[in-house]
This record gives sequence, structure tokens and C-alpha cells, in this order.
Amino acid sequence: CRQRLLTMAMRQTPLTCSGHTRPVVDLAFSGITPYGYFLISACKDGKPMLRQGDTGDWIGTFLGHKGAVWGATLNKEATKAATAAADFTAKVWDAVTGDETLTLAHKHIVKTVHFTQDSIYLLTGGNDKVLRVFDLSKPEADPQEFTGHTSAIKKALWCNSDKQILSAADDKTVRLWDRNTMEVLKTLSFDVSVSSMEYIPDGEILVITYGKTIAFYNALSLELIKTVDAPASIHSASLHPEKDFFVAGGDDFKLYKYDYSTKEELESYKGHFGPVHCVRFSPDGELYASGSEDGTLRLWQTAVGKTYGLWKCVLPEELVSENSDTLYCNTPEIKA
Amino acid sequence: MKTPVPVLRLPRGPDHPDSRGFDPSSPRFQALRSTRGGAAAAAAGLPELREEQQARSLLRQRYLRSLLAMRDAQVRFRMYERVHVEARFGASDIDVLNFQVSDLQTPIGVQKEALLRCPDMISYSLEL
Repeated sequence: CRQRLLTMAMRQTPLTCSGHTRPVVDLAFSGITPYGYFLISACKDGKPMLRQGDTGDWIGTFLGHKGAVWGATLNKEATKAATAAADFTAKVWDAVTGDETLTLAHKHIVKTVHFTQDSIYLLTGGNDKVLRVFDLSKPEADPQEFTGHTSAIKKALWCNSDKQILSAADDKTVRLWDRNTMEVLKTLSFDVSVSSMEYIPDGEILVITYGKTIAFYNALSLELIKTVDAPASIHSASLHPEKDFFVAGGDDFKLYKYDYSTKEELESYKGHFGPVHCVRFSPDGELYASGSEDGTLRLWQTAVGKTYGLWKCVLPEELVSENSDTLYCNTPEIKA
Repeated sequence: MKTPVPVLRLPRGPDHPDSRGFDPSSPRFQALRSTRGGAAAAAAGLPELREEQQARSLLRQRYLRSLLAMRDAQVRFRMYERVHVEARFGASDIDVLNFQVSDLQTPIGVQKEALLRCPDMISYSLEL
């Protein structure tokens, strides 16, 4: 088909989003809203940024944290943002005005934040090894606390229609908790610390990365579905909404794209000048965003050559034509 | 040799490093503004808003005048990590992110000229 011909003839042009001055350690997309979808990036410079998801255009910076921001998330409607920082606080923000609406004090560095689907509860986790659930409608009330992890918590997520919580910590375990009874329902143990976790509600799939492995689990039973090994240590991976591809990035600065069914490596891209810390597919699956130690965010096309966002499809005749005044041909980065 | 996919332009970045953004004239801001916890503000109407804005202007003016009045005064700064220093205040930068001070007395000696980062400060006091 035409798209495949285009993809064969075209080379991926990543879009670089600049603005951060230190490593980008986390990123998250919102759902699809009437105004498009949005992207938030967490950065060690303490200034998380909100961007238009399909173009990477900067919208605003959430100013207020006094330390590195380790985690950032948006609610589905992109009306609220939450951030986790080294200043021992998690903050909730109005993602339309950029105003800080709530500061939630913690006893140590906060690493991860996640909203429930109704945006009423915020889950936090960090270096004090405790998971907390804050009721945002009652900010002065004490949070629910889930203890059990024996090391710093890296990532915590709501799952199973917000009835359960998944947490990954440096104690090399991933735990599934019941939100009401607060018990640990299941535990996965690894030889090394899990580097990232992604939850796909539609299909109940959990994507976990550790070492050079990208592993896929059933999110309800925590049964292993499959594992794929990459050429280098992987820091983050993301499964396409239609579950036909997944992307991964890590220590060798490259982005890898695999076929989910066959586990075949389809494409790999150089571009970042530092390890890739986070990678996520957009909610419509048309692009994926990566955050790196090099301080940049890059947007990559899923179907290379397709017209989408700032990428402009080129018809075969135009490929040989010199007449392209409305098109800006981005010269590729000089390869190290 | 593959052709790189052309792009219309590069993603826009922040206007300047400390820029806040969140353009109030954007369609999303305009449309969602009335539901911004200011369902109260919208209901309360204009007079309350104007009053608040006036109060904010007055406070801001007072603060700026206090900075002027501080010039050449001995100021004691309480910083994070239980640090207390004293110095002669010179000036503030436009965003009140840094204070220029002289003869900064620190536990390791007196610094003739120094720049103190405002985000590092908890409070400061002086006698006028």
C-alpha cells in the first residue's frame, strides 16, 4: 500500500522539543480531548512542561518545585497535572492555567504520581517506601498509606478500574495491591530492579522493563505473556494502543520499534545524545515521545512519511522535485 | 539513499528560559476558564475580582518599595539547611530570583560581593 511505499522511501525525522536544561526523566500523555492531546515532561531542572501532544509545541511550564521533578502525569482530560519532586512534595496543578492548586508534603523524595480515572484521587510513591492515596477533594485529610515495599518506590499506577494499585520498587518487586483492603494480592520478583512500568487498561496489559528485557504481563493475574530482549539495557518501553508495535529505549541512546506479535525488531533510530529515560506512545498511536539524559524530548512517527502533526507527507512526484518552499527539510543530526 | 520526512516547522519552545506560558488567549483557556475552580469567581462577578486585583497591586507595590528601602541595609537571611547569613543588601534582579549583596558574613569568612539565590531563602529580616 502507499503508506508502506512511503515508509520504505522515507527516513524518520524526529522532532526535537527543546526547553529543558537537564535530563528529562519522565513523560506522560493525556487522553484525547476536544483540544487534541497533551504531553507533560518531568525534568531534573525542576520545571515540568506541558506541550501540545501532536506537535510538541510548548504550552507552559509549571513553576514552583524547588528540586528535580522525577514524575509527572496528566489526567485524561488534561485539565489537571501532577508532579513528583526531590523537594519532598507532590504538586497538583491546573493544566489549563498553569496554577499550582495543591502541594502534598512527603517525608522524602517523591518519584511517581498517578490520577484515578475520575481525577479525584492521586497515588504517590517515592523514597520513603510508602504508597499514598490522597483524596483531592479533601486535601487536609491524611492520605491512605500502603506499606510493604522495602526500598524506594519508582513507579505506582492505578489499575483494574482504579480498584487496584501496581507498584514497582528498588526492592526488585512489583506488587499488586487491593485499594480497599490494602493487602498485597500478588508479587512479582526480579533479579534486578524494574526500570519502568506501563499499564494498558484496554486489554489489561502491563509492560515492564528490566535489564535488557521488555516483558508483557496480564495486569489482572500478573501472568507473563511474553518477553523480548533488546541489544542494550532498556529504561522504558511503551505498547501501541492497537497492540501491534511496542517501542523501547535505554542506555545506547537509541529508540527501538518491535512488532508485538512476532517480537521482530522493525526499526531503530539514533538521535538522542544521551540515554533514553522514558518513551510513550501517544493516545492515538500516531507518534511516540522519548525523553533523554540529553535534556530533550523527541517525537517520532509510528508510520514514517505519513502526514501528521508537523510531518508532511510527500507524494512520489515531490520526492524528486526541487520546488518545496512550504516544506522545511530538517537536516539529520550529525551522527557521533 | 532515503529522503528524510519533511516537516512544516520545528516544535515551538518556551519564549525565554523562565517563561511561564499558558496563554490566556488560547481557545482552550478561554473555553475552560469558567470551570476553573472560579465557578466561584465567575459567580462572584467582576467587583470581587477588581478588589482582589487592587489588593494584589497594592501589595506588590509595597513589596517593591521595601526592596528599595532595603538598599545598603544590614539584612539577616534565613536559608535552607539551617543556614543564617548576614549581608549588606544591594539590589534585586527583575524577577526577584537573585539578590546582590556585599560583605556577606558566612561561617567560612566574609565574601566582599555575592549573589544570593532567592529560591534558597526562607525569610529575611532587617531594621529600617
